[in-house]
Amino acid sequence: MLKIKNILTLTEKCAPTIRLLSSAVPQPSESTTQIETAQIPSDLQQEVLKHPDYFQVHNLFTVKDLFDARIHYGHKEGSLDPKMLPYIYGSRLGHTIFDLDKTAEYLRRALNVAAHIAYRDGVILFLLRGAQNSHLVERYAKECGEFAHTRFWRGGIFTNSEKQFGAVTRLPDLCIFVNTLNTVLTQHTAVRDAAKMGIATIGIVDSNCNPNLLTYLVPGNDDSPVAVEMYCKLFKEAILRGKAKRKEHLEI
Amino acid sequence: MIRKINLLLEPLKYLKIQQNFEARLISTTVNLFNESTAERPATSVANIKSKNTLNKAMKSYLERAQQHDEFMKTEKHQFEIGKRHLANMMGENPETFTQDDIDNAIEYLFPSGLYDKRARPLMKPPEEVFPQRKAAEFDETGRPYHFLFYTGRPNLYQVLHDTVEKINELNNFEDTMIRKNLQPDPNLALELSGSQWLDKNTLEQKLVEPVSDGEYSNFLKAMDRLCSLPYSHKAKDFIMEYRKPLMSNSEAFDVIKPQIGPDGRQFVTTYECRRKRAIGNVTIRFPGTGKISINGQDINYFKGIQQREQLLFPLIFTNMQRKVDIEAEVQDGGESGQAGAIRYGIAWGLRSFIDQEYIENMRLAGLLTPDFRIRERKKPGQKGARKKFTWKKR
Repeated sequence: MLKIKNILTLTEKCAPTIRLLSSAVPQPSESTTQIETAQIPSDLQQEVLKHPDYFQVHNLFTVKDLFDARIHYGHKEGSLDPKMLPYIYGSRLGHTIFDLDKTAEYLRRALNVAAHIAYRDGVILFLLRGAQNSHLVERYAKECGEFAHTRFWRGGIFTNSEKQFGAVTRLPDLCIFVNTLNTVLTQHTAVRDAAKMGIATIGIVDSNCNPNLLTYLVPGNDDSPVAVEMYCKLFKEAILRGKAKRKEHLEI
Repeated sequence: MIRKINLLLEPLKYLKIQQNFEARLISTTVNLFNESTAERPATSVANIKSKNTLNKAMKSYLERAQQHDEFMKTEKHQFEIGKRHLANMMGENPETFTQDDIDNAIEYLFPSGLYDKRARPLMKPPEEVFPQRKAAEFDETGRPYHFLFYTGRPNLYQVLHDTVEKINELNNFEDTMIRKNLQPDPNLALELSGSQWLDKNTLEQKLVEPVSDGEYSNFLKAMDRLCSLPYSHKAKDFIMEYRKPLMSNSEAFDVIKPQIGPDGRQFVTTYECRRKRAIGNVTIRFPGTGKISINGQDINYFKGIQQREQLLFPLIFTNMQRKVDIEAEVQDGGESGQAGAIRYGIAWGLRSFIDQEYIENMRLAGLLTPDFRIRERKKPGQKGARKKFTWKKR
């Protein structure tokens, strides 16, 4: 892993200015030649990996928080995907209700994975379809210095990236699906594409979703803005913890 | 910003070419280190590692950037040579030959009757001819700079993201104002007439990204929604970035400066005012009393009411009926043609005596647009210019 001194700050990177391919002949300069390798010592990395919850993500939330964020609400019984049955607590007034104890367990596992990937300088991509929560997710992704794709999914972004971006491109190391559905009936194409490309995925799966292709699933409500904000907040916090630890360890 | 990135990339750009050379260099320095006490910082050693860990994406970008640079360099060189040849052909000093001179020379040497200006021969510096391309969008570990990079249209979606951000801000602001029982000030309301949204091509150029029709209509919808908010004037800077002023002739053509006549009054003469076959010269004198003379007669020169109305319209429109004198000489054409020619002459000349605002209004009313249409000739074998004789097959 590299670290360049005088690297532009994150805010500057995200600034809306448009950079152009320069046609000027580059002049070698003294100050920029200082490239230093910044690698976390491997024994430290091993230690981080061995710990069951190194980033203390278990204390990010309680089951009560999940309940307050209405994460236990599923869809109507009729739309229940049978593969989601293990995570369902029961049904009330015709609507399925998630077992929040299980959700909490899965969510902690997912947060732990996200924190670890952030710690190892992985690229994390937040995905979501639907205009209602799109801006929210983009904002949180920006805040934690990661990436978001909440717009129309042009086919082949993962599977045909060289054509799509016009060059060799580094694909994300982890995809976080804040919802996994395109419309009520069809799954987000990126779920399939990520599975094809061997990209790890974390997905919030509602009672009408199919969790088969996801690496780490989190059963829970994926529609309410409150719930979506809760997920975004948690993942942001976990990612920031991973990054903070990385920074700390790099300085050692 | 660009410079900064370049500075960042410079050492990496030449990695490819200098690989062999550098490898030797590094081996020698390593030897040196072994001999001398390793006092200096291990930058060269770091360089070895950096080369190995350089991301594939960055590597291929650097190759492309280098190709682009070389291409632009040769193009620039050719342009310089061409410029010198052109200057020698025109018998001028190549050192002081400017772009304007080039354009004139090209126009002189390769006269072209093609109507579209873009179809005519041109010679421009390569930076203007070849479309601009984006710089690397990721750092040397391959991590993109922009948080919307994976959408493939980061700049466009950034604009949409910002628009929503502004809309949310303004909604919150409106809520606080409602809680304070305050109304938006109508004087501050956003004035959008006189400008329009950037068209699709301009937007594409501005964002350096392709924009599809659907995306462009989404952009318009988002922007319109932002503009429709009661406190939209607070986001004026952002909105105006994506609007351009409407083309106005009044700005394109300078107002004629009035001359002083022997009687001490200002006057402006508009020559060759045309409408249909009529052609005339119109003189406006200021200050005046509203006297009108056409070929030596007064307004009774025109028998019809409509022609008189045509004539007076620009004066009434700008409230100048009793403030200026008009003298017109007009020939050829019929009544309405002559009246139209004088109307155009009056409107054109009046610009010297009225405010910018009135000029803009006159432009919007179409008074400053010359009407070039003339009668199309009748064709043999048919009834009129376009109309055909009645024809029945059987």
